[in-house]
Amino acid sequence: MMSEGAEKNPSKSPAPVVASVADLQVHFQSKRGIVHAVDGVSFDIHDGETLGLVGETGCGKSVTARSFLRLVPKPPGIDAGGSILFRPRTTCDACEGRGCESCHQTGRVSAGCSACSGKGCSECVQSGEETLDLMQVSNSRMRSLRGDRIAMIFQDPGKALNPALTIGSQIAEVFYQHRSAEVLDAANVDVSGIDPGSLLLKRQAAQQSRTIERTLLKIPPLRSRRNQITAAVDDMVADALAETQIANPRKIMQRYPHELSGGMRQRVMIAQALACNPDLLIADEPTTALDVTVQARILELIHELQQRRQTAVLYISHDLSLVRRICDRVAVMYAGRIVEISDADQIFQDPRHPYTRGLLAALPSATQSRGKLAAIEGTVPELVDPTPSCRFSGRCPNEVETCARFDPHLQSVGDEHSVACFIYHEPPEGSGGRPTLAARSS
Amino acid sequence: MVDSPNTDQIYLQTRDSAWRVRAQRGWELTRTMLANPTTVIGLTIVVLLILMALSAPWITEPNTPDAYQMPRDWSAVRVPPGSPGHILGTTNRGGDVLYGVIWGARTSLKLSLMVVSLTVVIGVVIGSVAGFTGGRVDEVLMRIVDVFLSIPELIFALAIAAVLGPSFTNIILALVVVFWVKYARIMRSQIIRIKQSEYIDAARVIGDSKLRIYLRDILPNSFTPVMVQATLDMGNIVLVGATLSFIGLSEAGIAEWGVLVSEGQAGISAGRWWAPTFPGLMVFLWALAFNLVGDGLRDVFDPRTESAR
Repeated sequence: MMSEGAEKNPSKSPAPVVASVADLQVHFQSKRGIVHAVDGVSFDIHDGETLGLVGETGCGKSVTARSFLRLVPKPPGIDAGGSILFRPRTTCDACEGRGCESCHQTGRVSAGCSACSGKGCSECVQSGEETLDLMQVSNSRMRSLRGDRIAMIFQDPGKALNPALTIGSQIAEVFYQHRSAEVLDAANVDVSGIDPGSLLLKRQAAQQSRTIERTLLKIPPLRSRRNQITAAVDDMVADALAETQIANPRKIMQRYPHELSGGMRQRVMIAQALACNPDLLIADEPTTALDVTVQARILELIHELQQRRQTAVLYISHDLSLVRRICDRVAVMYAGRIVEISDADQIFQDPRHPYTRGLLAALPSATQSRGKLAAIEGTVPELVDPTPSCRFSGRCPNEVETCARFDPHLQSVGDEHSVACFIYHEPPEGSGGRPTLAARSS
Repeated sequence: MVDSPNTDQIYLQTRDSAWRVRAQRGWELTRTMLANPTTVIGLTIVVLLILMALSAPWITEPNTPDAYQMPRDWSAVRVPPGSPGHILGTTNRGGDVLYGVIWGARTSLKLSLMVVSLTVVIGVVIGSVAGFTGGRVDEVLMRIVDVFLSIPELIFALAIAAVLGPSFTNIILALVVVFWVKYARIMRSQIIRIKQSEYIDAARVIGDSKLRIYLRDILPNSFTPVMVQATLDMGNIVLVGATLSFIGLSEAGIAEWGVLVSEGQAGISAGRWWAPTFPGLMVFLWALAFNLVGDGLRDVFDPRTESAR
């Protein structure tokens, strides 16, 4: 209902859509009323691109990101509507992952719809591709997606690792959860037979064995095969760690999180997140807790791994200069809404929404001499039971009466560029005038 | 590309394997604990008391048929300490005080171990269910816990033991009923705290099931305060247990410190101080020692209280 402009993606873009958020609304129950933390957010993420989600604290960017993995705690969270359509991808049949015309050189194509086997039906919105609504899928399906098709990197790697487990066992967990078949394969364990031991090993590889079964696996003939599994997983973990260019992965595996530096911990988190080659990586301010020198390296690493694997990244940040450097497209959020979405270059060169302009103006630059820092006046509005009005009204320098009474929707202003502001499109009938870009004299 | 290679190298050189890291951490904790003299005193007494309890059948001739019953030497009633064959004297019914002291340690160890293990299991299970499920289940369970906590420990135990009738088993039962609530409380608060940690979200993000998250991430990280409380309770339980025995809720004639004190208390006015004094001293030592060790453990595991030392 909100943003028709953002949904229609230009046919120019060759990369298929991996995830599509439509009118997402996440509310929170609070003592003072219902907080509209995310209020009608729509955007698409294309395969292999980096979409930056920018906004100040409390604007709903983390809640949006967490909704992808259904990590918003409920209660107090309420799914108030909208959908997140996700298209998991598989290896391209035509080129077996090497990259060809039909898969845009990525080696991967969207998984076929299980209901119509690719012919297109109502379940897959006529696309023939498997489409999952992340707000609706069953819990078990959600669990199979988490860590496998959708992964997440957290803000503070020091807090996101279990202090009681070694690094190795925490990364191995991903393989045990999602790659048990590959683990058995790598260990050269044949589980096709009716051998009772094979069933045990299968359960072991999926980490489902009970105490009795684990004891059984300690009996010599089974033990050697069990050790093969452990060795195979260790190899996989070491490879995953090596990809993050961490020194001496075999030794790091045996460390506990508290023994590693912040940068190394974040590398471990990245290794864990990318272990199963996900389609979508959600990076929730992955460098905020790190110091600036390490930050640059971690960003380079994410970028490099993303390029190699064609993973789409949803990058959440409040750091504009950083977003400019690494993102292909940028969505600016304000008070639970997307106010502007566009190409990264375009948004920085030609910001349209007054809020985006304000944000960019507030960036201190190295060339400027010292002086008073620029800031947007006023504070973020209360998100409790909001009235229909532009969320930025009250702080906006271009505000007119219309802005406080009507709600601007995201509408296209040009090439892949959408803005939610009455400056760029006609306000509804009976409004009190239209704002212009000329700043109020104050 | 590797950040700060120098520190990385140092990390790699200093430690070798997870096992060694674990051993090192254990050693560090032990050293911190032993740096506190009161903890060392407590630990020494605890070790001595437990040794005494374990070696009771070898340092004294066990009474037949039931070694936990006081032997009765009717030829030497009310002899003072230092008498031949009765170093600590006898009670007015010919019970050897030394035998009571030594076998009383065994009784106390049995009592405290049984009560603590049962209460920890019950408390951890109920606290986990409450903390992990949350909502209405949590509300109901915690109100039950509140009811239990609102009744004074000793009086509650006394009431239960009195209703069940005088026996040592009933004392254990009564203490279990009274003491589990603390563990449920501690466990619940720990789980609620750990549940909000980011690594629980991280575990969910890689697709772990709830049970697995509980077993791998929540339980190991929430167990230390339970352990500290268990150590403190090893002492408290013997104290309360001895009180119940003293009042007469234990079987008569059993080798238990509370029973001995009660048996000897009538003689104090007549100057026969030894029968109640030695067992009383043992109760005091036992409770003190475990409390010192418990406090030491708490200082090590919870650095916030360290300054209060």
